[in-house]
Amino acid sequence: MAESISRSLRDGCLEGEHAPALTIEDSLACPLGSHVFDHFLANLASQIADGTSQARGLVLVALNRSPSFYIDLLRRKGVDASLVDKWVRILDCYSDPLDWKDRIPPLMNVQKPSTRENVSFFRDVRDINKLLSSVLDLGKGFVGQGKTRFAVAVDQVSNLLRHTSLPSVAGLLNNLRSNDQISCIFWLIHSDLHEPRVSTALAYVSTVVASVQPIMQLTDEHRSRRDFLWLEKNSCKAKFYVRLKRRNGRVKLLAEELHMDQVGVKFAAVTSENSFVNKSLLPKVQFNLQLSDQERVDRAKVVLPYEHQGNGEAIQIYDGRRSLSDDQKDPHLVQPSTFSVMTDAQATSGNGEIHYIRDSDDEQPDSDEDPDDDLNI
Amino acid sequence: MATAADGRLQGARSANTSSFSRARSSPSAVLPSPPNPGVKLGPNGATFVSSGIPDLDRILGGGFLLGSLVMVMEDADAPHHLLLLRNFMSQGVVHRQPVLFASPLRDPRAFLGTLPSPVSSSKEHRQRDTLVDHNQQDQEKGLRIAWQYKKYFGDQQSSQNHNRDVKQEFSNDFDLRKALERQHVQYIESMSIQDIPHLTILRDRCSNFLSGLPRSDGGNLSAGRIAIQSLCAPQCGYAEMDWDLVAFIRFLRSIIRSSNVVAVVTFPTSFLLPAFLKRWQHLADTLLSVRAIPDEDKDMAKLLTGYQDMLGLLHVHKVAQNNSQVPTVLEASTFSLKLQKRRSLVLERLNQAPVEASSGTSYSTSGTCSGPSKGSSLDF
Repeated sequence: MAESISRSLRDGCLEGEHAPALTIEDSLACPLGSHVFDHFLANLASQIADGTSQARGLVLVALNRSPSFYIDLLRRKGVDASLVDKWVRILDCYSDPLDWKDRIPPLMNVQKPSTRENVSFFRDVRDINKLLSSVLDLGKGFVGQGKTRFAVAVDQVSNLLRHTSLPSVAGLLNNLRSNDQISCIFWLIHSDLHEPRVSTALAYVSTVVASVQPIMQLTDEHRSRRDFLWLEKNSCKAKFYVRLKRRNGRVKLLAEELHMDQVGVKFAAVTSENSFVNKSLLPKVQFNLQLSDQERVDRAKVVLPYEHQGNGEAIQIYDGRRSLSDDQKDPHLVQPSTFSVMTDAQATSGNGEIHYIRDSDDEQPDSDEDPDDDLNI
Repeated sequence: MATAADGRLQGARSANTSSFSRARSSPSAVLPSPPNPGVKLGPNGATFVSSGIPDLDRILGGGFLLGSLVMVMEDADAPHHLLLLRNFMSQGVVHRQPVLFASPLRDPRAFLGTLPSPVSSSKEHRQRDTLVDHNQQDQEKGLRIAWQYKKYFGDQQSSQNHNRDVKQEFSNDFDLRKALERQHVQYIESMSIQDIPHLTILRDRCSNFLSGLPRSDGGNLSAGRIAIQSLCAPQCGYAEMDWDLVAFIRFLRSIIRSSNVVAVVTFPTSFLLPAFLKRWQHLADTLLSVRAIPDEDKDMAKLLTGYQDMLGLLHVHKVAQNNSQVPTVLEASTFSLKLQKRRSLVLERLNQAPVEASSGTSYSTSGTCSGPSKGSSLDF
């Protein structure tokens, strides 16, 4: 659920742990990833502004969209502009990531982009170490040293991977995650722009993987017919799959539906048949032939239908007919005594019961215990 | 007779009952010095060290073979491979065997702070030992036949007495809640493999470690341990150099094969290309994999008993067989990782949960008479 993700980002990390990391991935079939990213960004920013989150500030590494877009976005979502200025810092890797503007001779009437206080330019995206230190400096700049933490958002990792190799990007994200001052970190990636290795590497580094999948699968038929219905459906609706790594070492898999509307993205529980079933192939599973302690105790308590119980008393067993004991008792009298035996047995044996019906009236008592008894050698 | 004397070696290949036993163990030879409890001799000239988990030693037929490469396939979702590594390293520390630890963490010594300490041999252990002793003596008194074989079994008894004096076992139970003391941990060499640009640094470190090991002299066998965590983790600089990684593993395997070292290497399988994954699996002598289990999965809870306590699953793919042609055939290859009394790691076979008897065909009634039977009668 998106709620649980927002909550885990808000709560941040515990002492001695690495920060929770969220990967949002989408693909061309369903390109709503940016909107999902915006949703989480706005949520986290409002929580920081309210003071309910562990993070005291947010550093946004903007690679895909200009910083002004984010400021507008946050304002639209209702975050106070002054608080945005105070608690959000944007590292602008969008305007001039490779430092070309200095190399091109300046044009005559070029407007210098208005510099805002909380936006810093970053010109060398290829140098990952410099990027790491800039992010950390920005963060320390507004939360100071000490115990306070800040959150980091990277939009998009796909752009970073254009310029640098996967191990360095994975190293950057891992270093950020393990840094003491980071409360939580999340990023967006377009999974079909890269090799599958990239998705698995990022899934390895992160604690939550949220993937946006198309609601209607693309088949060849669709492609050939240029199915507009499919396009329309997939541009405003999607399935949202979340894979959470929990602290106890288990994995939690969740599914939701996503709707796009004017305001932004809305999440809803899955309406249609939940076809998303995770069948982990279990290998041969043995039947447990050992008895647990409770079962052993129960077994010891079961009264066996032998004439002699080994404790010196002969008991009568209710066999559905007149009993073959020495005394001819009234059936009515017999019944209560055997019934009492049975109730005793029930009282002591727990779940175990044995009902024994004798084969025939001719049988002598204990005749079935030792068939060799009548041998006279 | 064999079972009475086998008290210590339950389940493991008992070294002394095969007809091809080493001269060392025959009663006429004199034991020169107390044998190293950390190293166990097995049939076919195999020497074992413990993995730190007694159940795993039993499953693998004695422990990790010295001179073999153990590879553990990680699951990206769960950190269970760290449990195996921790127990492995702690066992090395307890037996005073040199350990080399390489990890992609910035500060590997931080991980060493989480090594578990052995469960102290409490009164219950000592009581158990004395009980075993009494049983054996009684049984020996009762059995008068085959007196001439006593001389062979006498040796085992003396070694058991000796072991009890030394008070060190081949494999210890570790308490995961208690950390190993700092002074012991200092002996572990550690290095970080995150920032190294290529593998020659790791390669050199491993060869130095091996050349620095004390050579085994006479009857006193020594062993060393190498533990490499997450060898091809994506954040390591060399992570995309696939062929170099394969070359490194081949190198590691070759230098270890002729030495008295066991190497445990864990790696994330998801990051490797399928062709290289196959190569890595093939290069391993012993191959294990850990898997995460889904949380709050009702189907799985119905299928398995003890689902609530399970941490994860351990699968044994391959068991080392360096000196023999006889493969180890395991009864079961998948085990569940559980914490016994919340402190020590145990491996259990997966057991199917009993199906309700009212549903008709139920398999579980084969076990007990007092199963969940709602008044169903057994006909004799």
